[in-house]
Amino acid sequence: MAEFWHGYLLPLLITIGEILCVVVPLLVAIAYYTYAERKVLAYSQLRKGPNVVGPLGLLQPIADAIKMLFKETIVPSSANRVLFIAAPIVSTALALVAWAVIPFDTGVVISNINVGILYLFAISSLGVYGIIIAGWASNSRYAFLGALRSAAQMVSYEVSIGFVLVTVLLCAGSLNLTDIVMAQRTVWFFIPLFPMFVVFFISGLAETNRAPFDLPEGESEIVAGFHVEYSAMTWLLFFMAEYGNMILVSAMTTILFLGGWLAPFNIEPFSGFLGHVWALLWLLGKILFVMFCILWVRATFPRFRYDQLMRLGWKVFLPLSLFWLVLTAGVLVATGWVPSH
Amino acid sequence: MPKVTIDGTELEVAPGTTILQACQQAGVEIPHFCYHERLQIAGNCRMCLVEVERSPKPVASCAMPVADGNVILTQSEKARKARHGVMEMLLLNHPLDCPICDQGGECDLQDQAMAYGFDRGRFDEGKRAVRDKDFGPLVATSMNRCIHCTRCIRFLNEIAGVEELGATGRGEAMEITTYVERALGSELSANIVDLCPVGALTSKPYAFVARPWELRKTESVDVLDAVGSNIRIDARGDQVLRVLPRLNEDVNEEWLSDKSRFAVDGLVHRRLDRPYIRRGGRLVEVEWSEALDLVADRMKATPPERIAAIAGDLCDAETMFAAKELLQGLGAQSLDCRQDGARLDSACRAGYLFNTTIAGIERADACLLIGTNPRREAALVNARLRKRYLMGGFRVAAIGPELNLTYPAEMLGDGGDALNALVEGNHPCGEILRNAKAPMLILGQGALRRPDGDRVLGAARALAEACGMIRDDWNGFNVLHVAAARVGGLELGFVPGPGGSGTAAILAGCKSGATELLYLLGADECDLGNTGGAFVIYQGHHGDRGAARADVILPGAAYTEKDASWVNTEGRVQPGRRATFPPGEAREDWTILRALSGALGRTLPYDSLPELRARMRAAHPGFAHIDAIVPAAWGPFGAAGPVDPAPFTYPVDDYYRTDPISRASPTMAKCSQLFGGHPDAAPRTGTHG
Amino acid sequence: MNALSRRARSLLLWELLAGMALTLRYMFRRPVTVNYPYEKGPLSPRFRGEHALRRYPNGEERCIACKLCEAICPALAITIEAEPRDDGSRRTTRYDIDMTKCIYCGYCQEACPVDAIVEGPNFEFAAETREELFYDKEKLLANGDRWEAEIAKALSLAAPYR
Repeated sequence: MAEFWHGYLLPLLITIGEILCVVVPLLVAIAYYTYAERKVLAYSQLRKGPNVVGPLGLLQPIADAIKMLFKETIVPSSANRVLFIAAPIVSTALALVAWAVIPFDTGVVISNINVGILYLFAISSLGVYGIIIAGWASNSRYAFLGALRSAAQMVSYEVSIGFVLVTVLLCAGSLNLTDIVMAQRTVWFFIPLFPMFVVFFISGLAETNRAPFDLPEGESEIVAGFHVEYSAMTWLLFFMAEYGNMILVSAMTTILFLGGWLAPFNIEPFSGFLGHVWALLWLLGKILFVMFCILWVRATFPRFRYDQLMRLGWKVFLPLSLFWLVLTAGVLVATGWVPSH
Repeated sequence: MPKVTIDGTELEVAPGTTILQACQQAGVEIPHFCYHERLQIAGNCRMCLVEVERSPKPVASCAMPVADGNVILTQSEKARKARHGVMEMLLLNHPLDCPICDQGGECDLQDQAMAYGFDRGRFDEGKRAVRDKDFGPLVATSMNRCIHCTRCIRFLNEIAGVEELGATGRGEAMEITTYVERALGSELSANIVDLCPVGALTSKPYAFVARPWELRKTESVDVLDAVGSNIRIDARGDQVLRVLPRLNEDVNEEWLSDKSRFAVDGLVHRRLDRPYIRRGGRLVEVEWSEALDLVADRMKATPPERIAAIAGDLCDAETMFAAKELLQGLGAQSLDCRQDGARLDSACRAGYLFNTTIAGIERADACLLIGTNPRREAALVNARLRKRYLMGGFRVAAIGPELNLTYPAEMLGDGGDALNALVEGNHPCGEILRNAKAPMLILGQGALRRPDGDRVLGAARALAEACGMIRDDWNGFNVLHVAAARVGGLELGFVPGPGGSGTAAILAGCKSGATELLYLLGADECDLGNTGGAFVIYQGHHGDRGAARADVILPGAAYTEKDASWVNTEGRVQPGRRATFPPGEAREDWTILRALSGALGRTLPYDSLPELRARMRAAHPGFAHIDAIVPAAWGPFGAAGPVDPAPFTYPVDDYYRTDPISRASPTMAKCSQLFGGHPDAAPRTGTHG
Repeated sequence: MNALSRRARSLLLWELLAGMALTLRYMFRRPVTVNYPYEKGPLSPRFRGEHALRRYPNGEERCIACKLCEAICPALAITIEAEPRDDGSRRTTRYDIDMTKCIYCGYCQEACPVDAIVEGPNFEFAAETREELFYDKEKLLANGDRWEAEIAKALSLAAPYR
């Protein structure tokens, strides 16, 4: 019994606890990210945004969630019922699973694996399945078109993201995310790799179907894209997946380019528990800043046309990232700065 | 022929033409209020001022005959200024109440103030106030609006022939009045509403009901007497709101009798709007199919010689034609369109038409009225007789009880004995007729509906031939009908066929059992009180006497609700047009007969009105001549022998209530109560009761 | 040189950054939002809102059934029927406005010779059923009684410009 307790049950409970420690704040963050988006858009347009439900409208996400939960889930009669329901579950699950390898401080991570960045890359590539399944299972022209666009867009930008990641790996010399952060003790990667930072951020927007690359939803042409037939809880899951992915991209940007939880110039006034808090505050601060930038971009730019989107991905970002990859490798070899462990 | 120059255009006109008429011939419009081409010239509104060269002042063009070499300027500054001034003066005392005035939208003063008036007034003093007069139940007055054109006075004095309206006072104190307050005693009184160029005289039943722009206008023909006056039906939605006369120089000129104008409010009362079947003594509402099946079953079960039909006074030609084809197809011969029993002969057209024509009255110089009171039977024929009388050299004599006409008539006697004496040449008046160049006689239904009516007809024919009334260029023999359907029925031969019986025999047969099935096409004026056990079908539009007796009621359309033809007393075929749809389940009459023929299994060979009309015209070519007179050939009719010396009686006792529509009309009921049925009798004054 | 600077701007995303700067500046401006049910924006005296039939101060209804509003109404939203009242004056027996047809052009109040039909300042007359928006004479007169003070003030303010 004791062996069972120590060998299986306790680690399982600890893992579940760890997961809850990440997922619950994440879900709250998703909820309030929608609120933040509405507020940011409102203020940039000289409006006030939600301000009726609760003080400053702070209960608005809760009200929205309750509304969504109580509405009827409509499954179109000609839809493939199983896949139709499965699609949003896949999307949301993938958005949450990626957080398993995100480190919050040195050693503070659910699963500190050596191929963390590869895992992230794989998971985010899988995200496109949820959308394609949704578009196909809806048996609706708009949904199908939306899914096609989404798949093409995600595939295109993943190539650039891949090269950007390789560039970062060259500089860090590890696939482990904690190691990548620690490799930035000397200089945060966004300074030497600034063009790659920009490409990564923009590709991240495209990867998450965010403005100005939200063509899969294009409400003026294809109504709402892949989720046109979804309602209530199923739609809420897509919504959560999208916002979860946005937060994930923000976190990845922070870890890969902005030095993760490192304070500028490695200032560490505290140690012990306070040291962890200090690191966490820096990490969260940077993530929030990137999240704000995503909203800021949405508030500013109109949507791309589809051909512009493809041109940008294949004819600008891909050559640029390829060129920078070769350049980085060359510089590292020439100067002998290749990291080694 | 004087030559004049109007606004630079040279024109030659007949001597005695007024400047205004000359301008009208030249196509130049001159504003005017008091001038009316059918009335005497008064020249008191001054609106028609024009400039005439070498004349020191502007000239009232309506009253000034042209002189040779006149140069007339209608658009000069002087003429324009004169009009401005006159319009400003006219508006001094005219209240600014167009929004509540029924004339608004069709007002001469409004239009001309817009076209020729000045754009502001300078009159700061108080306006004149005049007490409104009570002109009876038809004409509403608002005397503040009067501009003293005196058209109404002149109309009643000249055309209507009742000198009841006049003016008292002068200048601003002038008032149009009946002197002692009383209703206008004329059957043409409401024409002054049309004549009034402002809103001083308006229609009382139509008061505040609608605006002219809301109305749907349908040109049609009147059927409430046999004159066939041309009318315009103004309807809004599903209701006829008013009837106005339409110009037809040959029939009604531009006048209309009061009954024809105001009886239309009877179209919404006591209507038959769905089929009924009598069950257990009570009329029960049923569906069309049920009623038609019942009628068809009864018709199949009844031997054809026991089936009879009577057409009423408002029945249109198409309906009678369809009914005749249907019933004669079954073998029934007892058809009749003469529900008052008038002994008219359908064989000879000249024997039942008003051969002289109404316009032809103006060419006659002597007239004999036999058993007719044209004032009540055909007010517009009477107006023509008065018009002829005013032209001078016209002598009128009458046989029948005391008459109150609008022209002097010599009363020759009460009845048959006077006619007998005339025919035998023993009467002094015969000399006048014989010496006249264009003598005419008018034979009324009062003389013809007696049992000896055929002998009256024969006597009148003999008299006409003896007095030289029948010539190649002149036919002075006239029958004046009362019913709009009568001539049409006679033309179509809706009379007893071989072995068939007429109205009196049909009704007697109902009592004795010789007639088992009686089909009434809107027949309400015959005596249905004692029709025994006959099965009576009533097809009509009002719940009147016929419907009260009926065993089955088939709801039809009134004259404003169907496209149909009527033939007036002259034999003039005129089309009436649908202004509104029949109420409820009611249908156009010929379609009812068509449906019934289907239920009988003897479908009539037409599915549409044009097909029906084509067939009718093929059988009766006279119906192809729309609004035209086909002269009738003279021939033998009537019976020989002395006429019963008993006095004639006139057919129309109550002018205001002669048919189902006017009997249902509240306005006509008011008039009937006020005048006791006789507009020519002294009306009760406004202070009565 | 021009082409070069354009290329450089493009490469450095200058326009994009300028745009983002603009949005950022706007985020710190004061929002113009009016907190509607509690705050309301200013209304012109000529505002054309819900219709009302007015009365004279002695309680007599102004409308004289001239039907000019019915005639001019481009949406055919007004239906009037009239007949003489017992005292002989011209009055409506029916005055209906179909508020679902009305386009709030204000021609009816321009046409009215006695200022009877007016479009008042009220714009909060949403209803739950279409039937509630078929206004009859009673409803319009009640509106007139309710809004008379505001209507009279608005008319007097607009009067000098008519």
